[in-house]
Amino acid sequence: MVAPLYTTASGLLFHAGKILVLTVGLPARGKTHISRALERYLRWTGVKTTVISLGDYRRKVLGGAQKVPPDYFTLGPKSPETLALRQKVSDGCEQLIWDFFDSGGQVVIYDANNGTRERRQTIAEKFDKAGIHIVMLESLCDNEELIMANIRSVKISSPDYRTWDPEKAVADYYSRIKNNEAHYEPVEETTWPYIRIMNVGEKIMVNNIRGYLQSRVVFFLMNIHNNFRTIYFARSGQSLIEHSYKADSDLSPAGWEYAARLKEFVLDRRAKSLQQRGIDPTTRRLAVWTSARRRSHHTAWPFLNITADDPEPPARVKIVERPQMSEINPGVWDGLSPDQVKKYYPDEWERFVKDPYAYRAPRAESYHDLCVRLEPTLVELEREREDLLIIGHASVIRCILAYLIGLPVSEIPAIEVARGDLIEVVPTSYGVYSQAYHFWDGPGRSDNGGGVGKDEKNFYENYAEDTQGKRRPEGSSNTVTA
Amino acid sequence: MSPDPQPQPQPPSTHASPRLSPHDLARVDGALKHMSISLKEPDAGAEVESPLPSAPPAVFGAGGPMLKQFDQSTAGSRIASQTVTPPRSVVGIGGKVAKPDYSEAKIVLAMVGLPARGKSYLSNKLMRYLKWLEYDVKVFNVGQLRRSRARQKAQLTGQREDHTASYFSHNNEQATRLREKLSEDSLDMLIQWLKEGGNVGIHDATNSTHSRRQKIMERVSREKGMSVVFLESVCDDPALIAANVALKVSSGDPDYKDMSREEAKADFLRRIREYENVYETITEPHLSYFRIKNVGAEVTLCHIHGYLQSRIAFYLMNLHLKPRSIFFSRHGESQYNVEGKIGGDSSLSERGMRYARALPALITDNIGDAELTVWTSTLQRTIQTAQDLPYNKLTWKSLDELDAGVCDGMTYEEIEQAYPEDFANRDEDKFNYRYRGGESYRDVVVRLEPVIMELERQENILIIGHQAILRCLYAYFHNLPQADLPYIKIPLHTVIKLTPKAYGCDEERYTLPIGAVDTHRPKPKSAKASGAGTPAHAKVAPMSPVVPLASSTGREYYAENA
Repeated sequence: MVAPLYTTASGLLFHAGKILVLTVGLPARGKTHISRALERYLRWTGVKTTVISLGDYRRKVLGGAQKVPPDYFTLGPKSPETLALRQKVSDGCEQLIWDFFDSGGQVVIYDANNGTRERRQTIAEKFDKAGIHIVMLESLCDNEELIMANIRSVKISSPDYRTWDPEKAVADYYSRIKNNEAHYEPVEETTWPYIRIMNVGEKIMVNNIRGYLQSRVVFFLMNIHNNFRTIYFARSGQSLIEHSYKADSDLSPAGWEYAARLKEFVLDRRAKSLQQRGIDPTTRRLAVWTSARRRSHHTAWPFLNITADDPEPPARVKIVERPQMSEINPGVWDGLSPDQVKKYYPDEWERFVKDPYAYRAPRAESYHDLCVRLEPTLVELEREREDLLIIGHASVIRCILAYLIGLPVSEIPAIEVARGDLIEVVPTSYGVYSQAYHFWDGPGRSDNGGGVGKDEKNFYENYAEDTQGKRRPEGSSNTVTA
Repeated sequence: MSPDPQPQPQPPSTHASPRLSPHDLARVDGALKHMSISLKEPDAGAEVESPLPSAPPAVFGAGGPMLKQFDQSTAGSRIASQTVTPPRSVVGIGGKVAKPDYSEAKIVLAMVGLPARGKSYLSNKLMRYLKWLEYDVKVFNVGQLRRSRARQKAQLTGQREDHTASYFSHNNEQATRLREKLSEDSLDMLIQWLKEGGNVGIHDATNSTHSRRQKIMERVSREKGMSVVFLESVCDDPALIAANVALKVSSGDPDYKDMSREEAKADFLRRIREYENVYETITEPHLSYFRIKNVGAEVTLCHIHGYLQSRIAFYLMNLHLKPRSIFFSRHGESQYNVEGKIGGDSSLSERGMRYARALPALITDNIGDAELTVWTSTLQRTIQTAQDLPYNKLTWKSLDELDAGVCDGMTYEEIEQAYPEDFANRDEDKFNYRYRGGESYRDVVVRLEPVIMELERQENILIIGHQAILRCLYAYFHNLPQADLPYIKIPLHTVIKLTPKAYGCDEERYTLPIGAVDTHRPKPKSAKASGAGTPAHAKVAPMSPVVPLASSTGREYYAENA
């Protein structure tokens, strides 16, 4: 159980106290990726968490890499001016950490190189004195390819190199790393608990980790990776009895058509995206996850297709049915229209409208319940290395999107997920890229009524669309940063 | 039932985009119209007839004619999905669930540690957990193999082998060879078992030296797709070791059957010393291992990767050995229990309320001043049952009763009448049967996994739960097979107290003298011939599985039941 069952007066969860996670590692070892992933996960579990990034802070205070003195990034002797600058940046960061703890925060992930034993010891002692638990999180890479890939895909897109020529940026960055390597001291001291991660999750070593929250962190870290992959989301097709959860009805004829169209569109879209990145789409596999509900599982059915006309090799597609991904259970409101609910359950309706995230209608699930139910699925999602298509229900897609994008949980019920849109999400170290592609206008598309009137939809499931939630993360093509 | 509910499989279409015949469309249209009309009817009717605005129309009960009619009217509307095997159309109220595919997981988990360090405890615990997650797990205990071979030999030849401490000395060359041979044989058996479809084979032996571990690595590396993980159990808490020694001496170990307690203890301590002389803790940098100190107090992981391994690590990190008890109680008898209905969210009956009032004294008498936390589901009947308990209470959505979907609120007789085939299907494989729009027992097991993990971490817990939920949890603690799980007897108005021990759980049951209906439906003798007519909840149990009362805590010495 990871989502909070209850909160304590202090706002700290799992009796874990306050924790400062110090990342340790050379540049381009995936520290930022790991920090951001961990932050997203802990926030989702309700733990007040933040990443304080030394790099981000330095950029904010001093500007991009070209604006700092040449000896700024080298370890070893420096000019007094540079030393003063560095001290200023580091002090500023530490102040941010204190501020976050003072304002009720529980976990701070300090994303910096912390490459020398002395530096780690200084910081750790300072915070340890204040009763804050220290965990070293070292990220090592002995795979040169992984490092170069990381530089190419992440570092040169970092704000430091926004206006640079890519090749020059790579060269500059590479020299920055080389210089660091000579002075790097891996975590060998056992003074503090540590987690050492090899090649972003390939191997993991843990020392002196204690308690539930810390072990949960280890479990999560054991399952992440930073291989390039894309996650697609689509809603299931229209079903015969749209407005009932219990009936678990099959797809309508339009729903079957939708399913066939979805398959075509996904394969097409994916091929284009991969080709843009110079990847041959036939070399990669696609995992398709559905819930155990008929409308969802049957929407994936065309992917199993083998006919002479359509030689898409099914061996590259794996379909997995996950019972944990069923849509939000509407309880006693199943099959009712909003008007009926207002009439029969006026008080409950009132409370639901006030807090659609936390309120649980009689025998129904709240969005919070749904998040708790989906938590094991999220770990599986992190673990999956193949491209992934989730054919889900709006409520489930909302929760997963909120997790990936890093939205506060209270906004989950307002995320619109239109049927007929394919949402493409690419996780990167600095957040995710998301983009929606429209592929279907037939019956069942939620925003045009398409032959199904409002009363005939499951309104509990479609509440965001009906109320035109203002946030449409899938509509923007910008990077969304957590 | 209409003439033919199964649609004829249509030949795979070769069109890129499937077409519908006008006939199909008309049928579906008709069905949808019919739906929306019927929807409005009860709504309008309710205004006039029902004075209670809190009783909205039940639209899709399986008992009503609507769902059945609807299924039949649309059964033919399915269009060919272009696949060789189109999905079955929806008829009836449920279906079977398939087991997850774990065939790629093949792990040899080799224990490392001195005697009396809780190796067998950990192996058994881990086996229970992984089995509950539906992995195929088996413990291969070298000690058991040694004892059963020695017994065979004794029976055949009349010769008794000497298994006192000197047998375990590394100076005793002949015995050392024998012991190595035993360990190798046991590993071979394990590997063979993995090849036949097992997922995790636990090699329960001391594996106390570098060279022994190297041999295991070499042996397993000859097999494709298998990996080795070591689990070293280290104990430096004298009290813990003493407790393990006492357990060993008092548990009827046949190695000591002709000795007094004192002699046995002295011999066992000598045996430990023999191992200590040669013991080498894991320092090999290339091995994958977990090191667990004082059973969960501290865990070190090295080279651990892969999902299953990370799950094992997480589980190990959450274990503890503090003495505690877990109490299970169903809610007091509910209104629905009395009426023989399943599911629902009814309140307690008058007798149920009496149970709720009597419960605090029972629990408090039992536990004294110790701390306790009460967990309930979100359903009224458990919350009402817990209302007088003077302890901290938490509500878990995950503890809600198995969702019977469209059958919610019906009696078994009603289901049997409306859907006789479904009813028989459920009896045939109750664990895998998923109610339409609801859950199967397997779904419930998946949903309860986080609850199990939390239970492992916690101390004294009282769960006020539901029949199906408590069956699943009970099966975890007693390591009962899936097929028996849906038939475990969890009567009303009874508190079950489980106290985890080294090799299982001690159990006590306290039944309060407050009458209640029996909601247990025994496993039919022959699933096909399940009799109709008799109210299910009134049947006597002819074949319910034997409930292990306090019998699962013994240590097995010959692995005869494995």
